[in-house]
Amino acid sequence: MTNVRHIVVTIALCSLALAGWAWAGIEGSKHDFANESWSDGDACGACHTPHTPEPPQAAPLWDADADLNRTFGTSLSGDARPGNGTLICIRCHDGTIARDTISGQAKERFRNKQHPGLFQSGHQTSDHPVGIRYPDIDDKFHPASTVIAKGAVLLPDGRVECTSCHDPHNQAGEKSMLVTSNARSSLCLTCHKK
Amino acid sequence: MRRRRVRAIVLTWLGFCGAAALADESVVNSKHDLSVRGPGPIRAVQETEVCVFCHTPHNAAPQTPLWNRENPRTHYRIYESSTTDARIDQPSGPSKMCLSCHDGSMALGNVLSRPASEPIVMTARTIPPGHADLTNDLSDDHPIGFRYDRALSNVDRQIRAPELVTRDLPLGVHGEMHCTTCHDPHNDELGDFLRISDRMSAICVTCHDMNGWRHASHATSQKRTVNRVVDPTERLKYQTVSDNGCLNCHKIHSAREHERLLRARREENNCLNCHNGSVANFNIAAEIGKRSAHAGRFRTGVHDPAEIPFSMRRHVECVDCHNPHAVAPDPFGVVQGTFGRTVKGPNLHVRGVTSTGRETDDAKFLNEVCYKCHGDGARRRRLNTSRQVSQTNVRLEFQLSNPSYHPVDGPRRNNDVVSLIAPLRVGSTIGCIDCHNSDNARAAGGSGANGPHGSIYRPLLIRNYERADFTVESADAYALCYGCHSRQSILNNESFSRHQRHIVDIRTPCSVCHDPHGVYRGQGNSVNHSSLINFDLSVVMPADTPSGRRIAHEDTGRFSGTCTLTCHGFSHINFPYSNPAAGGAASRVRAASRGIGR
Repeated sequence: MTNVRHIVVTIALCSLALAGWAWAGIEGSKHDFANESWSDGDACGACHTPHTPEPPQAAPLWDADADLNRTFGTSLSGDARPGNGTLICIRCHDGTIARDTISGQAKERFRNKQHPGLFQSGHQTSDHPVGIRYPDIDDKFHPASTVIAKGAVLLPDGRVECTSCHDPHNQAGEKSMLVTSNARSSLCLTCHKK
Repeated sequence: MRRRRVRAIVLTWLGFCGAAALADESVVNSKHDLSVRGPGPIRAVQETEVCVFCHTPHNAAPQTPLWNRENPRTHYRIYESSTTDARIDQPSGPSKMCLSCHDGSMALGNVLSRPASEPIVMTARTIPPGHADLTNDLSDDHPIGFRYDRALSNVDRQIRAPELVTRDLPLGVHGEMHCTTCHDPHNDELGDFLRISDRMSAICVTCHDMNGWRHASHATSQKRTVNRVVDPTERLKYQTVSDNGCLNCHKIHSAREHERLLRARREENNCLNCHNGSVANFNIAAEIGKRSAHAGRFRTGVHDPAEIPFSMRRHVECVDCHNPHAVAPDPFGVVQGTFGRTVKGPNLHVRGVTSTGRETDDAKFLNEVCYKCHGDGARRRRLNTSRQVSQTNVRLEFQLSNPSYHPVDGPRRNNDVVSLIAPLRVGSTIGCIDCHNSDNARAAGGSGANGPHGSIYRPLLIRNYERADFTVESADAYALCYGCHSRQSILNNESFSRHQRHIVDIRTPCSVCHDPHGVYRGQGNSVNHSSLINFDLSVVMPADTPSGRRIAHEDTGRFSGTCTLTCHGFSHINFPYSNPAAGGAASRVRAASRGIGR
């Protein structure tokens, strides 16, 4: 009897673990806003809107309020010019702008309370640079062609953006919504020759 | 289905190959790979990421390489040396990052991206004691935290200009030296995460430009170092002296002798490690253990390369006479006079004092090295013999303006030395080491090293030199003198006509009449003290003359003169001598007064 119970418990645990591990996609992820009070059950509304986008943020039907002309300093490069793949994230994740303006309803401040420094005031000295041109000719980095050929890390417009490493839709189901697993730091070493 | 499996196998295999090819020059699989699959004994228990122990993409410490660790708050003891011109400060920037693990104070798993209460669980909490643990005492490590700039390289001529270096060895933002100047923490291809190999000290000589190093024995010798016996615990990285280079004597981290990062605390042991017959040709350890020796082992911690010859405390170390960065073999190893008296390989680029008493960083002549201590300095000559005039400053005894001297500072003007054995001739010069040398030196026909390391004959003489009265004359008794002055010529009275009588018949040693170094012009004149005449007062007594008791020698011409003294109970009063073969006038005088003498 005990044996049977053990087996049942083991199977249950295994399936749970498997489910947890295999969970991929935005549904149920931290970016699934369907259950938020301000979202009216719309999981996508925080970023996308089906009808009102105007240039320049037209491409993935961005929410019209997004301030995509913002500039800010980065830690490494003087020619940082964050693209949409960064700005749409910072809109929520810097804790300063648009934090209350998501669909005009949220009272929740989308500020990272655990790490108040995250993107705060646009100073990124403690974060990996974004919006920079990929240093293709620097021998400390793999060539962009190699990076792109691997298929995981994206370099939109030849630049490093938040979406280079993070997939906001959580397709891979990795920790921190990474585009691929970082076991053995393989994500870091996709670009960095270390 | 099957095709897919084959493809998967091929891809896996290619992946392994790729990983293997990358392994050497990547942080992955290096000792700095602390992930659970890292190769070393110190690694994480679960964490699979490699970079996370030092870097994080978000919320990093405010330092450029996205640092994931807190700076250690340790106050370090920093390197000090009497010879460094660098202003060494507490470590900063990237060095602190390294020290956050390598000073052994902080937990390896404490990273900023994790809450302090949940650090990464490691097999060891902190870096375990050993060569990777530098501790908070950085005085035994190569200095960091100093500015390596033109100001420094202008003062220290043995350091290259920084712009020649930085291409290979990066300096900090203010041109300061860091751990990362020599080490690339991500690349262990060359071992010890070095940026340039330390084989043949390539990485050291990138900055350090030691005078004479390029041709020095320690840079070129192919002798194998595996037989070192004094300190078998200290394994050298490479097999030959040349490959080990600086590392033969220096240790870049955790050196036992902190100042100048030497392997051994006792100065001489850094040398005797190899020069005790285990690696080098000659066993110097045996030489300096002899009765009369330059015995470095009696003093430790006295020698300082920055010492001032005139005021330093008495001591002798190997490095007082040898510059280990410039030593080279001396291919000749015979009497100096034959080949001039300039310094040879073993004494290149050594400090000295010139014959005029001026300090020099680069002695040109070997006697200048000796004058550093035996001239005006700490180790004045001990007077073995009490003489008419006594002088403890050897430098003054060899002055070219002296009434007489052995030709060490330069050739003599006197051409009366008929006893010289070729290739020595009138006008030759000799060196101190022609007389003061090891008794089994090659110059003495032995098999040992040349040079005044140690001898069974006092005071550190190459051959026997009897000074006791009533010594029976033999080739051995005065072997030192007979090395240059033909015994046959002396005993045939070719110069002084009474040599045979004094030396053989009355058994008077050479040293009773002759002072081997010279007579300083301030103390003697060329009448009384020609031909190195300076009587030994333990044998020679004053004679009663009408003008009082006195000892005097007077030179009256070539091979002729008079003596006034009492010796062996026999009184000479204006006793004349001359050499008939040389046609000296005194021979006739002496013939006339034969009754007075014997």
